Amino acid sequence: MRDLFKQNRSVPVVLTILVVFVTTITILSEGAGSGAISTSLVKTLGMTLCLCIVALAMDMVWGYGGILSLGHMAFFALGGYMIGMWLMVARTSDVVAASLSQGVLPPTSEELNAAIAVQIFGVVGGDSFPWMWALSHNLPAQLALVVLVPGSLALVFGWLAFRSRVTGVYLSILTQAMTLALSLYLFQNDTGLRGNNGLSGLQNIPGTEGIAQSLLSVWLLWASALALALAYVFAAWIMGGKFGNVIRGIRDDEARVRFLGYPVESYKLFVFTVSAVIAGIAGALYYPQAGIINPDELAPIASIYLAVWVAIGGRGRLYGAVIGAAAVSLLSTWFTGGRAPDINLGLFTIQWVDWWTVLLGLGFVMVTLFAPRGLGGLIDLFSARASK
Amino acid sequence: MSTLLEVSGVSVTFDGFKAINNLSFAIGEPEMRAVIGPNGAGKTTFMDIVTGKTRPDEGRVLWGEKSVSLLGMSEAQIARAGIGRKFQRPTVFEDQTVFDNLMVALKKDRSPFAVLLFRANAGDNARIEELANEIGLSDHLQTPAGILSHGQKQWLEIGMLLAQEPRLLLVDEPAAGMSGPERDHTTALLREVAKTRAVVVVEHDMDFVRKLDCKVSVLHEGSVLAEGSLDHVTSNQKVIEVYLGR
Repeated sequence: MRDLFKQNRSVPVVLTILVVFVTTITILSEGAGSGAISTSLVKTLGMTLCLCIVALAMDMVWGYGGILSLGHMAFFALGGYMIGMWLMVARTSDVVAASLSQGVLPPTSEELNAAIAVQIFGVVGGDSFPWMWALSHNLPAQLALVVLVPGSLALVFGWLAFRSRVTGVYLSILTQAMTLALSLYLFQNDTGLRGNNGLSGLQNIPGTEGIAQSLLSVWLLWASALALALAYVFAAWIMGGKFGNVIRGIRDDEARVRFLGYPVESYKLFVFTVSAVIAGIAGALYYPQAGIINPDELAPIASIYLAVWVAIGGRGRLYGAVIGAAAVSLLSTWFTGGRAPDINLGLFTIQWVDWWTVLLGLGFVMVTLFAPRGLGGLIDLFSARASK
Repeated sequence: MSTLLEVSGVSVTFDGFKAINNLSFAIGEPEMRAVIGPNGAGKTTFMDIVTGKTRPDEGRVLWGEKSVSLLGMSEAQIARAGIGRKFQRPTVFEDQTVFDNLMVALKKDRSPFAVLLFRANAGDNARIEELANEIGLSDHLQTPAGILSHGQKQWLEIGMLLAQEPRLLLVDEPAAGMSGPERDHTTALLREVAKTRAVVVVEHDMDFVRKLDCKVSVLHEGSVLAEGSLDHVTSNQKVIEVYLGR
């Protein structure tokens, strides 16, 4: 641990900032403090921490590994779907059991099951559980799937792609195709995940009925912060050692690493899969705070945004990914949430809801041109000056 | 001296162009060999075949005492079997320190999980110190490789090659772009290495080849034109034609 702090000086700084941040938010929250901050803002901040985690995963695979995956939000969303299935089933069965118990005879378990299925799948014309919900009543199993589903998709996809030595822009296009195909698949009603309705009501966590959302949001904020801290330490550990040097070597000169005797494909597959698992875990924490997940979350643009966050934050440095994801996603929420004042130019009014993407694009171009190392690179500059 | 690498009857065609044409070549251990030849003679393609980058259309490439075929092996497997390669353009990992470059090259288990859990011990560090001393970079262990001079990068790459502990070193134009004293250092280094290992040096520069003082193979149009001492091959009429004629 001490070695890790020495190697990567950002670890203690980031951990300290995280503790101060969540403590401050807790004190100001409605659920556990003075109420200066609304519950919806606490949720937004908790979600932002989850986005920081997936940005870390993206930085591992792109910033360190040089693999520009434009499909990592698919893994994030899959993690969300996996936990969402359990949340929906558990919550619905509580509700259905309560309503059926009003009857004269207590319901049989078949009746109960059928009623839950109708309640969940009625919107897409279904009345029974599709095969992929087989484990959805079992929390430990569904938690395992949060890791296993994104992990095995990444493993199979990565094995096929890396074994054929698909690199660069071709790999990026393949990953876009992957997330698009998955999104279209989930959009279909008969896939079994409620089509374009997605999974909803995820903010109602079973077993916490007596706890107000205002307090629950603080809990989830802490959970997200803990996950981010663990992901950060884990990423710093992987990238700080010899493994990180090999991965950066692959980014800079793949052939050279191969001629040194390293099985380059296995390394890429390892990083790709590990980062997909981290993305899945981040998604499983994000969607209970968002409350709803639908196939739009896997749209190709979502993964492109992820790459933009990491590029703006500064790739190849872990804090860069965190800063980029936090700054850009919070700004995006502010601009698209209708809070930003419109600018009246007389003939034309700039409405930020529409113009935010233009501003983001402009910002991306500016960063690429004038600060190619991103916002994190500016920190490097200051810390280098300070230590002189 | 036993045969370490034996290449026989190898041909490779790129889009109808015969880059290597029925080439046969053998080297023992320890031995130093210089490979010379005009541009397009197939020197780099020859190295690509031995290291697994290019698959030949026909022929055999056999390795070691057990005469294992290298043709079915990946680049990484061939490298692990004991063939190290130095590229013409110095290729070191520029944003990593000299120490880290050498540590990545050091002969160790290359599998991802072993590397993930790897901790350098005192022996590894000592070995790197020793290598750095050999290539004259002891004072630069913590320097990012990107800011080394051209000659220093070449040496670092040779050092990385040595760290791999290969039985056969394929070295492509090691003296390119080096100043006089730097060349002498490189020559001494290679001759020292060739006392215990097989070394193949591809070179254009006749003066440098003369200093290596070893057997020479002349490549022309994808096959070996002549083989022997430098004086022997340079007095060969066909070699003179190829180099000076036309």
